[in-house]
Amino acid sequence: MTTPATQQPRLRTWSIAGAGRRRLTEYEIVTGKFHYHFGRQPAPFDLDPGSAINQWYLRYREGSPLRADDWEGFKDPAQLSYRRYIALQHDREIYAEGVVDHFEAADHDARLDPAWVAVLGRLYLPARFAFHVLQIASLYVGQLGPSAAITNASFFQGADELRALQWIAYRARSLSLAHGADLADSATARAIWEDDPAWQPARQALETLLLAYDWGEAFTALDLVVKPALDAFFKEAFADLALANGDGLTAQLLRESGVDTARNQAWATALARYAIAARPENFTILTEWVDKWRPAAEGAAGGLAEIFAEAPVPVSPESAVATVTASLGNLKEEIRS
Amino acid sequence: MPRLSRSDWYDLSRDTNWTFRYVTEDAVFPEELSGSHRVGKQQWLAWDEPYKVSYREYVHNQVTKDTTTYSLKNAISRSKVFDELDPGWKSVILAHYGAITMPEYLASIGEARMARFGRAAAWRNTATFGALDEVRHGQIQAFFPYGLLEKEPRGDWALKAFHTNNWIAIAVRQLFDDMFVANDAVSIALQLTFTLETGFTNLQFLGMAADAIDVGDLEFGALISSIQTDEARHAQQGEPTIKVLIDNGHKAWGQFLIDHMFWRSWRAFALLTGLSMDYYTPLESRKMSFREFIEDWVIKQFAEQFRDYGLDFPWYWDEFVRELTWYHHAIHTVVWNWRPTVWWNPDAGVSPAEREWLEEKYPGWNRTFGRHWDVITENVRTGNIAATFPETLPLACNICQLPIVRAAGVLAGAHTDPAPLRHVHEGRLYLFCSEPCKWIFTQRPDRFKGHKSIVDRFLTGEISPPDVGGILAYMGLSEPEQGQDATGYAWANGG
Repeated sequence: MTTPATQQPRLRTWSIAGAGRRRLTEYEIVTGKFHYHFGRQPAPFDLDPGSAINQWYLRYREGSPLRADDWEGFKDPAQLSYRRYIALQHDREIYAEGVVDHFEAADHDARLDPAWVAVLGRLYLPARFAFHVLQIASLYVGQLGPSAAITNASFFQGADELRALQWIAYRARSLSLAHGADLADSATARAIWEDDPAWQPARQALETLLLAYDWGEAFTALDLVVKPALDAFFKEAFADLALANGDGLTAQLLRESGVDTARNQAWATALARYAIAARPENFTILTEWVDKWRPAAEGAAGGLAEIFAEAPVPVSPESAVATVTASLGNLKEEIRS
Repeated sequence: MPRLSRSDWYDLSRDTNWTFRYVTEDAVFPEELSGSHRVGKQQWLAWDEPYKVSYREYVHNQVTKDTTTYSLKNAISRSKVFDELDPGWKSVILAHYGAITMPEYLASIGEARMARFGRAAAWRNTATFGALDEVRHGQIQAFFPYGLLEKEPRGDWALKAFHTNNWIAIAVRQLFDDMFVANDAVSIALQLTFTLETGFTNLQFLGMAADAIDVGDLEFGALISSIQTDEARHAQQGEPTIKVLIDNGHKAWGQFLIDHMFWRSWRAFALLTGLSMDYYTPLESRKMSFREFIEDWVIKQFAEQFRDYGLDFPWYWDEFVRELTWYHHAIHTVVWNWRPTVWWNPDAGVSPAEREWLEEKYPGWNRTFGRHWDVITENVRTGNIAATFPETLPLACNICQLPIVRAAGVLAGAHTDPAPLRHVHEGRLYLFCSEPCKWIFTQRPDRFKGHKSIVDRFLTGEISPPDVGGILAYMGLSEPEQGQDATGYAWANGG
């Protein structure tokens, strides 16, 4: 062995993730080729190839029917690095705080119709259980994602769900101050989530979603069916109902959360389109999963929509379900296009 | 601002635990990913994070940190600060980026494992922020060396290292896969957050940031101290987890997981931090020796952790304490001898003044390691550089993947036999550097048995041609990337 004599030529970009002559964006610099372990032989991780987590990834990630020659080509349309995500959400939380501040200054909660507060107690406050499932399911899709672009977008989405959940928790306490301690009682909210017939189809869909371990199916069930259905239900149909019942605060917080939904749907549909372009058979695979999960998601919306009839200014449950169905239909069109 | 403070509503954001009806608890939390079945469902609900943060607070705090850190980088990258850094310090940061950037990013997967398979909503929420933190650490520690590429092409190893079979990359990858990527939620909490982060890195990052500022590397100092503030928060997931285990009669399991990972963390520290502190950091900037750091900070910290939770010191504690005087010196020698196999320039760090410091900090160093360096120094002075390179591959440990340096242990009086420890499992011979590494393997052989060390690969013909050139190519090192003596042998000539 001898001392090397040559100096390494200057590098303008990552040697393994360059983009030819084009300069990499910050997003590309901190995202491309981070998942060195996807497809590695003999196993993704440097333990015994037969050890439990290696086998889990080989079965549910590398072994998923949803395949592409190269997942690295997929990019989050929002091109979010951590830094950009945090800067974006910092601004959005300042906006949300402003919304809450505005309504609190007008003593908004105290003026709400008790009959409407009852609807909030039955439908809105227990929704934190539903958002928690969406949160942890996103973190599952993220940890099984075959590329960092998919993983990071999923992690940010999981954090968005925690954001939505925490504003519901905030509102639970806030409403309890004007309308009774029961609204901030965990046992009450849990009992509704566990036993109220209106919640059971949603609870069943969400509990079952946690067992979708194949990453392709988990992504499809969560991001193309169950989450879009619940987001359309809460952030569109229920936000409209809140507005009709004089609850501008609930409506505005949900619509603010809808901004996160729009961003998350954009990456999810982009990923579905990428998968289909990369391998046409993926269209059938995705469609079969969508068809499998859709009845449960629509059933969830149908069950919850029954509560719409109890609002002081009611909306027919059918129209709420129609909002969800239309939203899922639009999503399917977007994936196909 | 909204009227309610976090404490008014926070508990309502972590009460989302319930009893499954349509699926089973076991199916939602499979033991191989959760690792929680020793303790009952209800008992896990006592899990309580010591440090609480809301999403709002998180994004507001983090945007400030990012703005500060990136602005500093922008200001400094236009200066000549990097060019003027000490060559040994440049090796510190190059080694760090190649070995640590990707594990930090991988830790986001470990955090996500806890965020999905932890058994309490409070834990899952805390780990959700942990996952974001680790994406941050992976990305920021890729972005900074990317900015160095034009000045230092081996910043490339921040991304490239884990795509290669470089021996350091194999060792670090195998360690962190064991610790958090290919691990269950409970074990991750104990092994990553309680053992590594709370016990080692949180302290190391404080020290490293101070050293960086001292040598004039403001960019790296700002980076590391910013990361440390995140670690201090999410590292606290270990404490409530060990508490739940102990309160429910499973102290022995917690002790086993900690004993397993304390040793492995020590091995990685000896390699990365030991060399950095005692050989690469410029003498005038050394505030303490590696041994003093471990004794005064790490041991003290662990003693408190063990006392607080009624845990015992690991059974190999005496061996660990003895190793503080010699192990990393031996590893330093191997790394320097095999310098073409690493992506940084190892600094021999044995100028007369440095040797004096080493003898002061490690009495007897001259008698043991010094003699070895005397021979190397003589070869360098007479121009016989070729003689400073080894001709044979050292044996590698089948757990820590590092060279087996027991012969140096014999010189240091710590061992009586220079031969590696041997163990046959299912007909295959495994070699180990130490009793704890052998113990780690034999406790759970199915976890490790099919993995091959770099030497196993060489001996089974995976590396071809089976010579030094073949090894370097297998490790992904082009000739200009291969490490050289950091100072062009200035130390040998009294410099």
